[in-house]
Amino acid sequence: MVGGILRAGLLAFSCLLMAPVALAQSNTETQDDAFELLQKAQLAARQSDYDGVFTYQQGATMQSSRVVHLVDGTGERERLEILDGAPREFILQDDMVHCLLPEKKVVVIEDRRIDRFPSLLIGQAEGLADFYSFHMAGTPERVAGRQCVLVDVIPKDEHRYGYRLCIDSQTHLLLKAQTLDTDRKVVDQIAFTSVRLGNDVRADQIESAWDTKDWKTVRPIVTPIDIASLGWRIAPLPGFDYVTQISRPMRSGATVKQLVLSDGLAAISVFIEAVSETQERKALPKGGARTGAINIYGARIGDHWFTAIGEVPSGTLRELADHTEYVPLAVPSN
Amino acid sequence: MQVKVKPEDQTAASFESRVSAWVDGQGDIRSEVLDSPYGRQVWDTYHLIGDVLRSDDLAHKPSDLFYARVSRAIDAEPAILAPQRHAPLLKRVGLPGLVVAAAVATVVWVALPYLSTPANEAAAPVHIVAAAEDTDVSDYIDAHRQFAGANPIRRVSFDGGAAR
Repeated sequence: MVGGILRAGLLAFSCLLMAPVALAQSNTETQDDAFELLQKAQLAARQSDYDGVFTYQQGATMQSSRVVHLVDGTGERERLEILDGAPREFILQDDMVHCLLPEKKVVVIEDRRIDRFPSLLIGQAEGLADFYSFHMAGTPERVAGRQCVLVDVIPKDEHRYGYRLCIDSQTHLLLKAQTLDTDRKVVDQIAFTSVRLGNDVRADQIESAWDTKDWKTVRPIVTPIDIASLGWRIAPLPGFDYVTQISRPMRSGATVKQLVLSDGLAAISVFIEAVSETQERKALPKGGARTGAINIYGARIGDHWFTAIGEVPSGTLRELADHTEYVPLAVPSN
Repeated sequence: MQVKVKPEDQTAASFESRVSAWVDGQGDIRSEVLDSPYGRQVWDTYHLIGDVLRSDDLAHKPSDLFYARVSRAIDAEPAILAPQRHAPLLKRVGLPGLVVAAAVATVVWVALPYLSTPANEAAAPVHIVAAAEDTDVSDYIDAHRQFAGANPIRRVSFDGGAAR
């Protein structure tokens, strides 16, 4: 009670003080509100129950998936089913992802959980406001039969794309996300086409239709690494931090170093491998390339291939390659 | 570059270099060491070498004896062409390791510019990877998508290799 009065008093006092800078203040408040809304959307994706079908569209390609997400006594559970093309299911439980490959009767187990749609932020995303500005539209939009708040995420430099998001007015679940290039053209988009929320979600929908009892289990050997200690100097791009540094097997059988950098919204993967291991390989791009919404930049650094991949402008990847140095470690001579 | 001195060479070398040092006026001359035909010969040879180095005139009238002495001295100790001293020798042994380490640390590899080659110059800086499905690139894209956040397209990047 005392606290309430005190806070009200402080508020009144600060209102008097801040009156001349009200305009600037309101802008910062919008920024803070929008950033808070993104964080609420992140929480909603993790902590609420939903069951919906969403569609990803890029150029001429379209792919639909169904996601069932439940939080119960056992924690967070999720089943993601790919509806187009080869059947695939991804089941999240206890921070592990089981990837089901029905035609091979194989379960690939990934030891790390990676948030994806309707999750939005990657890592802590604390510095987001330094590299993006946010604008909230006054009039609500409607997506998948639900009312949502439109948030424009505008990059402050040319290193990253922009985003246009629609966040459920009631539950704060992300309903739609568009990636916008530097000309504000839509690069790709993803949106729920129908969704059930909260108590409307039926718990039995989380169970997979596949019986994986006698399927083969595969656990790819993924080892954490420290790229700097291996002699690689990668000048950081503004706002981008390492999310993951691993050594992993590829389909070719070669072991490749993968670094994932993110500014909280955009992600870049850097793959580094010895040239000798990849001589037989078909075409990894050298220079800039693009497939769909994804840009690729390949370069040779010493005896290594450097391949950067990400949904960021191609110049960003090139800059990353140009600011990467390999200093072979000196072998102690005595 | 690494100089290694074997112990057996050291005894032979040390006599020669000691005499050389004495000729150069360094260290106390121990005459009893020189009191042998070979000792005197080495002493004379080093003086001759020193004289020749200091004055061209002496080089003009070489006697047969001079040749004989020099060639005998050379036969006796072919490794020592210039007098060596022990302290600098140790330094020379110690240094190369550091020099090599420093040289290695300065090798810096950077990205090669691919667009500078004539073949690529004609092409647009960004080319479209066509059907990405069956190329190795798709494997890398899948690996990237594992971490790509909002991006929904989800494939298992180990379909072939690991599961086969």
